[in-house]
Amino acid sequence: MEINQQLLNPVEQGLLAIMILIIMFGMGATLTPKDFRSALERPRGMLIGFLSQFGLMPLIAFSLAVLLQLPPALAIALILIGCLPGGTTSNMFAYFARGSVALSISMTAASTLLALVMMPILLDLYASGFADRIDADLRAAGDDVGFVMPYTNIILSLLLVLVPVAGGMILLRVSPDWAKTAEDTAGFMAIVVILFLLGSVLIRHSNLFLITPWQIYLGSLCVGLIGFLFGYGMSSLTRLPPRYKRSVSLETGIQNGPIAFAIILLSFREPLQSQMLWLAILYSSFIVITSSFVTLFYRRIGKGDWEIHRNNLVHKRLFGEDYHTRYPEAAVGKVDQR
Amino acid sequence: MTSAFGHFTQQPQSNRPAGFRVTGAHLAELYANAARVWGDMPAFATRRQALEWEPTGFRELYNRGCFLATALIDLGVEPRDHVGLLGDNRLEWILADYGVQLCGAADVPRGRDVTDGEIAFIFRHAGIRTAFVETETLQDRLLRLRGKLPELREVILLDPRAKPAEGVRRLSGLIETGRRLRDAGDRRVEERVAQISPDDLFTLIYTSGTTGEPKGVMLTHANMISQLERIPLEVTCTDRVVSILPVWHIFERVFEMLAVSRGCCTFYSSVRTLSDDMRNIEPTFMGSAPRLWESIHQKILKRVKEAHPVRRGLFHTAYFLSHYYKESVFFLTGRSLDLKGRGRIRTAVLGIIHAVRWALLLPWYGFFNAAVLEKLRLVVGGAFKGSVSGGGALPREVDQFFNYLGIPVLEGYGLTETSPVIAVRTPSKLVIGTVGPVIPDTEIRIVSLDTEKILYPDRSRDDLGRGLKGEILVRGPQIMKGYYRNSEATKAALAEGWLRTGDIGIITFNDCLKIVGRCKETIVLSSGENLEPAPIEMRLNQSALIDQCMVVGQDRKYPGVLIVPSLEGFSELGISMNHRSELNGRKEVRQRIAAEIRQRISHKEGFKVHERLHAFGLLPEPFTTDEELTTLFKLKRHVVTEKYRAEIDAMYHRAEAER
Repeated sequence: MEINQQLLNPVEQGLLAIMILIIMFGMGATLTPKDFRSALERPRGMLIGFLSQFGLMPLIAFSLAVLLQLPPALAIALILIGCLPGGTTSNMFAYFARGSVALSISMTAASTLLALVMMPILLDLYASGFADRIDADLRAAGDDVGFVMPYTNIILSLLLVLVPVAGGMILLRVSPDWAKTAEDTAGFMAIVVILFLLGSVLIRHSNLFLITPWQIYLGSLCVGLIGFLFGYGMSSLTRLPPRYKRSVSLETGIQNGPIAFAIILLSFREPLQSQMLWLAILYSSFIVITSSFVTLFYRRIGKGDWEIHRNNLVHKRLFGEDYHTRYPEAAVGKVDQR
Repeated sequence: MTSAFGHFTQQPQSNRPAGFRVTGAHLAELYANAARVWGDMPAFATRRQALEWEPTGFRELYNRGCFLATALIDLGVEPRDHVGLLGDNRLEWILADYGVQLCGAADVPRGRDVTDGEIAFIFRHAGIRTAFVETETLQDRLLRLRGKLPELREVILLDPRAKPAEGVRRLSGLIETGRRLRDAGDRRVEERVAQISPDDLFTLIYTSGTTGEPKGVMLTHANMISQLERIPLEVTCTDRVVSILPVWHIFERVFEMLAVSRGCCTFYSSVRTLSDDMRNIEPTFMGSAPRLWESIHQKILKRVKEAHPVRRGLFHTAYFLSHYYKESVFFLTGRSLDLKGRGRIRTAVLGIIHAVRWALLLPWYGFFNAAVLEKLRLVVGGAFKGSVSGGGALPREVDQFFNYLGIPVLEGYGLTETSPVIAVRTPSKLVIGTVGPVIPDTEIRIVSLDTEKILYPDRSRDDLGRGLKGEILVRGPQIMKGYYRNSEATKAALAEGWLRTGDIGIITFNDCLKIVGRCKETIVLSSGENLEPAPIEMRLNQSALIDQCMVVGQDRKYPGVLIVPSLEGFSELGISMNHRSELNGRKEVRQRIAAEIRQRISHKEGFKVHERLHAFGLLPEPFTTDEELTTLFKLKRHVVTEKYRAEIDAMYHRAEAER
């Protein structure tokens, strides 16, 4: 698959940058410093979340890249996606999936900060082999510069996207009302950005959909799905309460797509850039659909334990912290009553 | 006969069976079984402060009920005695009910708003010898009437903080007495319970109704148990119910009994604290009057109006999408109103159109539902599966609004005489504009208003008579035993097990019941034309400028309407007044109201020529439950007509002069 022309022209790149800015700002508008601190209050859930996000997910991406024999640039893109922190959309999905929104938010907050350290380490671990192949190919084709993994730029891009996040957090402090509007706008923008990118590709590179090999579709589809599955499996093995399992699972599979776009735009040059962008676009489109279905599924299986949890919360709030409600198994079935 | 009570709501749920329930041959057995199964789970909760509530468990409640029953037996309460119970919703009320049921007696409940005349009539008519009163005020009122009530021997005060007068016992004292007796081996409660037959009364409810003298509706244990086993509401032991409607009314009562059967906690709230309590309790169900739903509807619209333009735009888009999406879903799942019996071809064509529309809207609806509508649903408390609304039909607009918003409103229908549910919408038969299918083991007949001929079910017709309008007759396990000591009224209402409801209805082509109006409410104009006031009033009440109204016009040339204008509505238009009498004097106000009537009761809105209102009068005082309304906010039409006779005459004079 060759992309002859730049996938996004400068105008489109500018628009994309603005949308990323809005989305990251909106993400900040949902976060308070407390969310970072309270991450420490849920050590077990957080630890397992950390292990799935930065342990499982990059490994899944790497394995898929190897198994599907992706070209090196796309392999790097897939691994990059695997190493990303969680996005705000995962919080929304966790809410509808009857998961723990608090855990989801904490995981998003913590992973966004930790990504500064983890991403370079993980990319070095999983992607350096592919980087060497690109370097060799380029030099063989007569390019003197070659290719080195742009670690500094990646860290700088990450820092850069954290600026609007911080801005959003400040807004939430100053005016919760405007912060809500920013949040809603960002939620809407998350959909718009995907439609915008798909639309741009469709208009100017419509044959790209046809010439993209199936391995690339499969890889960008499966990385999220397998992430959901393993995230759930891991938290089941470690016996987390059901609502935490659903949060960890969604948080593992759903990555922060806008950060991927930012890093690719700011750190990679052509001809890698367009190919990597294309994979990021495919991932972002598939993940919206797959996480909707997974959310509906979790919502269904989580009804029993969620209603018990919610009832317990209200009982504790109104009857006192040490009030314990025990439900007869005959009525609620075999449900984890934690 | 009291009329339609209204609206259940429930969210279509997963495939879990309709829910685990506790039952029994009679209420005493239900109470015992509930204590065994639900144990220490909270049954009823009493508010101390906003965030401090005191729960009482099922076992605890049952034990105290047994103590009270023992003490009542000791006081001389006989099996099948009628025990008065005057008061409103609180733990002590349900405790008194437990006591009465466990000693094999029946209670005769009324609320705090009972009049002295009613007390005197009911107590004498029911032969009450023992009575519970909730408050000091009620106690004093009852004691003043004592001279007229020679049979009354014992008065028991419910409120633990109130001061009992001489000779009046405290509930807590009786429970202590009973505890000592039971501890000493007293087992008379068990003997009594063993004697209860399902055909015994558990309650005798005097309905004030909209006309005439109160009638005592005799409801049996079997009536109530049949309801608990058949009401298709998915209430489970993880639900939270807020109690706000008067419990002496069968509609709230069946809900509290349902809570006992299904093991969920009932929280006693009050009008004053309701909105706070809703936030703190996050209820999943509640019984309420349509007024609450109308006000939530208004509140949401107001919030939208004041919201940031971006969010307002998002809301309108979301509601637009959801409206058309849900409409298609309803059509495709056979849940759209069908009164005429659509042909196959028409159904097929519409089906294809709706299927295409559904598919096109699905992704957009999905996003907006998640991002926008979910937040709106939080207005009714984040956990709401819906509400049950009593006292009349929800206006179609409000009904649609909540259903399209994703809070499925399951409207139901019933009377005190049917303990009370006859029909209720179920998630699979949620047809807007109807009260759903008839509940199991209940039969319906639609009878011609003129000829008494059975229109439905009519075996000689292919459609069995669906779509035909007439009086609703009903037969089933929930039908009352009769009116107490009133064989004449019983004979008029009950024949061969069939109860005349006095309501006009239609069976739709998807086998749901649609209520059209009341037989007795029908206004007959001097031209001989009939009109139903309720739909007209419902339409007018939707106006922000009108608080309440009542259509009149019996034996007149055309109908007119009495209107209570809305101070709030006019102040939003910049006409601020402290009192309606000042408001009513303004010419501008009359013009606005006249315009409102013209616009709302028009041909375009589906009203017929003879339904147009050519006369109207403005009232200085609102209708209140003290006088013009029943406790469920139904108009006592004869009271209003009587009170405002002069105003009605004047308004017709005015109208004549203007014509």
